[in-house]
Amino acid sequence: MRTFISDCQRATLLIERRADQQLPLAERVQLWAHLHLCAYCRRYAVQSPALARAARLTAQAPSTARLPSDFAAQLQRRLDEPS
Amino acid sequence: MALLVPEPAQWLARYGDDLYRFALSRVASAEEAQELVQDTLCSALDALASFRGEASERTWLFVILRRKVVDFYRRQARSPFVPLPVLPEQAPEAEFFRPDTGHWQPGQGPADWAAPSGEDDLEQQEFQAVLRSCQQRLSPQHGAVFVLRFAEELSAEEICAALQLTAANYWVIVHRLKLHLRRCLEKNWFGSTPRS
Repeated sequence: MRTFISDCQRATLLIERRADQQLPLAERVQLWAHLHLCAYCRRYAVQSPALARAARLTAQAPSTARLPSDFAAQLQRRLDEPS
Repeated sequence: MALLVPEPAQWLARYGDDLYRFALSRVASAEEAQELVQDTLCSALDALASFRGEASERTWLFVILRRKVVDFYRRQARSPFVPLPVLPEQAPEAEFFRPDTGHWQPGQGPADWAAPSGEDDLEQQEFQAVLRSCQQRLSPQHGAVFVLRFAEELSAEEICAALQLTAANYWVIVHRLKLHLRRCLEKNWFGSTPRS
């Protein structure tokens, strides 16, 4: 049987939701009780926002890529056409 | 102050590489990124009349590019819709959680991640490369939600609207993609770095 004490699936789903919105009081209390008892989900609760930060940093990582010149030349011709 | 007049012939020289780099950070391949840049500049050409010179040309082009990124993922996420399974035993979560109790499956519980060893640039780059490769292994729908949520940082409402998801489905998808991503990282990064 699933109870909030055993239900890590539900607890981790709530951890994802609370990153975006405040949870209703009953769910906050249940999550708190679950985290109090479950070391795995406590780890998840720390790692999940860390993963979000890492994803944001990865998306912002500086790049030195250049538009390939043949592609740029082709595109330039379209932009030069008088409209 | 004189309003700016757009100069399409200068766009590539001025903003081409920046637009391309941004596009590359949002999609998986160089071809897709080039297509985004091309779509952006063509749309901008068509919409020249709507450019009022209030924002800079650069800002205006980036607004169009970001819209193209959302469109790209809208198309990607639309392809085969994955229905939510009815029985808990068939749910994708069953890989991670026991269907009877909801407890972590043996061996799937989060491991202790070694703390990053400072601000080492090379290590950062390697980690980001692993994260990117894990990201590319996500399903198309999960990959779309990943970029819109964690790179574009759109709100849940905006993503639900763009991808036509209900809020409940959206949270299930965020949860599943996080589970897959963290397992991939655990296997390919945290599990393989020597721990001292």
